[in-house]
Amino acid sequence: MMTLIVPIAANNDDYAHKLPQPFRLDDEGMMYCVRAITGLPLDQMDNIYFVVLRDHDERFMLNEQLMMQFRRHHLTNAHVTILDEPTGSQAETVARAIELNGITGMVFIKDADCYFTADEILPQNGVAIYALENLPIVDPQHKSYVAVDDMFYVTNIIEKRVVSRFFSAGGYCFEDAAEFCRYYERLKEYSPLYLSHIIYSMLLDKKIFRPIEIDDYQDWSVTNVKY
Amino acid sequence: MKLDIQGHSGCDIAIVHEDSDLFIHKSTHDPGYVSRLVNQAKKQIAASRIEYQNIRVPKIFEVEQSDTDATIKMEYIYSRNFIEHFEQAGFEQIKYLIGAIKYFIDLEINNSSMQTVPSRILTDKMADVARKVSHNDHLNHDEEAMELVKRSSEVMDGVGDMVMPVGMCHGDLTFSNILFNGNNYYLIDFLDSFIESPLLDIVKIRQDTAYLWSTLMYNKPFDKVRLSIISEKIDTAIDEYFTGKYQWYRDYYMPLQLMNFLRILQYAHDDKVIAYLKRVISSQLATLGNPKTA
Repeated sequence: MMTLIVPIAANNDDYAHKLPQPFRLDDEGMMYCVRAITGLPLDQMDNIYFVVLRDHDERFMLNEQLMMQFRRHHLTNAHVTILDEPTGSQAETVARAIELNGITGMVFIKDADCYFTADEILPQNGVAIYALENLPIVDPQHKSYVAVDDMFYVTNIIEKRVVSRFFSAGGYCFEDAAEFCRYYERLKEYSPLYLSHIIYSMLLDKKIFRPIEIDDYQDWSVTNVKY
Repeated sequence: MKLDIQGHSGCDIAIVHEDSDLFIHKSTHDPGYVSRLVNQAKKQIAASRIEYQNIRVPKIFEVEQSDTDATIKMEYIYSRNFIEHFEQAGFEQIKYLIGAIKYFIDLEINNSSMQTVPSRILTDKMADVARKVSHNDHLNHDEEAMELVKRSSEVMDGVGDMVMPVGMCHGDLTFSNILFNGNNYYLIDFLDSFIESPLLDIVKIRQDTAYLWSTLMYNKPFDKVRLSIISEKIDTAIDEYFTGKYQWYRDYYMPLQLMNFLRILQYAHDDKVIAYLKRVISSQLATLGNPKTA
């Protein structure tokens, strides 16, 4: 079992007067950030945390709206974590959520601006990957890329440099929340800090990551901000 | 050809086609630099005769010398610079590089002999640095810089005679003098060092891994966080390895690293570089004042 964290706590000038894209509704009335997790094996998740900003919550009534979404879609183990201040990185958002909720054990981090399906999340460090050739249109600039060896071990992950036919699809599994936080603490002074930096730092320390194969990838991102 | 990394030697670098082969011509028209370039070539020729694991040295084919000019003709290496290499290197390539650096320096140590380096080598060099700083118009009105030099002189006075391996060293083993070709690393720009010790090569490589010196001269955008993570990894590995093996490393690395940055400071004229050097030297003096944090 594991904890699913959906970080949506970055600020952006566009959001001063606009509802952030992950909180908008799709054609079926489902919030995009909720839709983002529906392709995952949710029966593997003990708890699900959507991490949002207090400013966004106060302006857009996000807590109430998310609670309604959870009821409507029978997400009985989903919660909203509200951060008082914007975070400097997605990694910080996750670390704050882990700390505030006392999360231990395995965590799966899911970007709110994309969708994919995965049959099973194995209990190990992993990165969701998708092959470039499966996309009809590619914007290579806003992706990170994942190199894997012949035995399907991750050997490299890098922002915005095409080192592989696989890109990171916005899902990351860490087998130990405490270990994730240790790496975040070590690297938190760096900016801009991406989850790919945390993973690369762990790879350098001989931590093993496996690729998580996914299907049906959809990219909804309209900005390059990670939430 | 436009080079991405700019050096400070003032030599001209040209890539020359001869039939279907490429060569590098490195030349100087500064009479004061002629003997230095020729000595570099001799050092590189000697190093290219030794077999190293993963480390290569480009062959030198000709050395032309007159009173006013010198040109060396050497093998062209298809390669990437360190930033391009690190931007794309998987974790195992970083591991190979760490292994190659340790191996190269251990080989230098094995080809050197333990000698006593008299204290005056360091104090004379410090006096020379102080003189050059006082003649550098970018520094001699800078009270902070002058104070750092004064405090550094006091440190050097206290070091005393040093016992360390002497005999073999590259002389300028920074990342900008390594060409990366897969898991082969080509060393270029050998230099005479004021102490021909492998310790000076550790000092120079850690100039980059601990202090990111060569990134100051890189003009293109790059992932600074990734480079910092990689540099820290390499630096920790090198420091732990030599700290665990050698007393002379534990005793003399820090004062020699301080001297290394003072020798860069003495010629500095760019405001950004001077600010960086003052920050580094100040932190080194703090470490030397409190060795437990070293």
